[in-house]
Amino acid sequence: MEIQLKLYGSSKILSDKEILNVQLPNNSNIQNLRNILTKIISEKYSKSNLNNLPRTAAFFSEKDEVVSDSYKLKDKEFISIIPPIGGG
Amino acid sequence: MGAHVALVKIEEQKISSEKAKKFIASEKNGAESIFVGKVRNENSGKQVVGVTYDAHDQAAIKSFESICKNAQNKFDKDAKIFLEHVKGYAPVGEISILIAIGSGHRDEAFKICRYILEEVKHQSPIWKKEHYVDGKEEWLPGHSLRPKKEVK
Repeated sequence: MEIQLKLYGSSKILSDKEILNVQLPNNSNIQNLRNILTKIISEKYSKSNLNNLPRTAAFFSEKDEVVSDSYKLKDKEFISIIPPIGGG
Repeated sequence: MGAHVALVKIEEQKISSEKAKKFIASEKNGAESIFVGKVRNENSGKQVVGVTYDAHDQAAIKSFESICKNAQNKFDKDAKIFLEHVKGYAPVGEISILIAIGSGHRDEAFKICRYILEEVKHQSPIWKKEHYVDGKEEWLPGHSLRPKKEVK
């Protein structure tokens, strides 16, 4: 299955576009998504400062609410990655 | 609710302190407290020329509304609150956030202003990328919104 990951903040390094399509095994959850992102970053972006991102990021559902690691992802689902924040 | 919140796209308009003062103005106010955050020209020894602010628009606005409501419930239900935060590229000197409070008394006005600023920094999905004199740029570290019980 595939989800659409909307990128914010430092995660925008992961794509020229604002959305990254991520392939995952069926019935994957947020923890599986974290693992896939760790793999992508270690393979393609190891020189960036993104190594901690899969561990420190939160993820928002389409309802703009934080979802837990056990949250089951659906095919074509739209998820936002929320790197550590710091406005003001 | 006596609150105005907005994310201001800097390509379209700027944050206005005059607008904020008009919004909070009331004969009931014994105190008005205004905090203006600006982009400064230095951070950790690096010469900064500007900051790009990114935001999850809907969630940021939701968080602003929730923070203002909580501030009123906590300190002064009748307080008038103006909160705007910039989005996009802001050069040095530009206003990045403006918080204005109109309240019956100074203590509440100061407390609400400080409370809102700290809560925005810890709740609102907004990110900063600094741009430096030498052409380099860097996303700044921040506060994780991942549930603490899940962080190993």
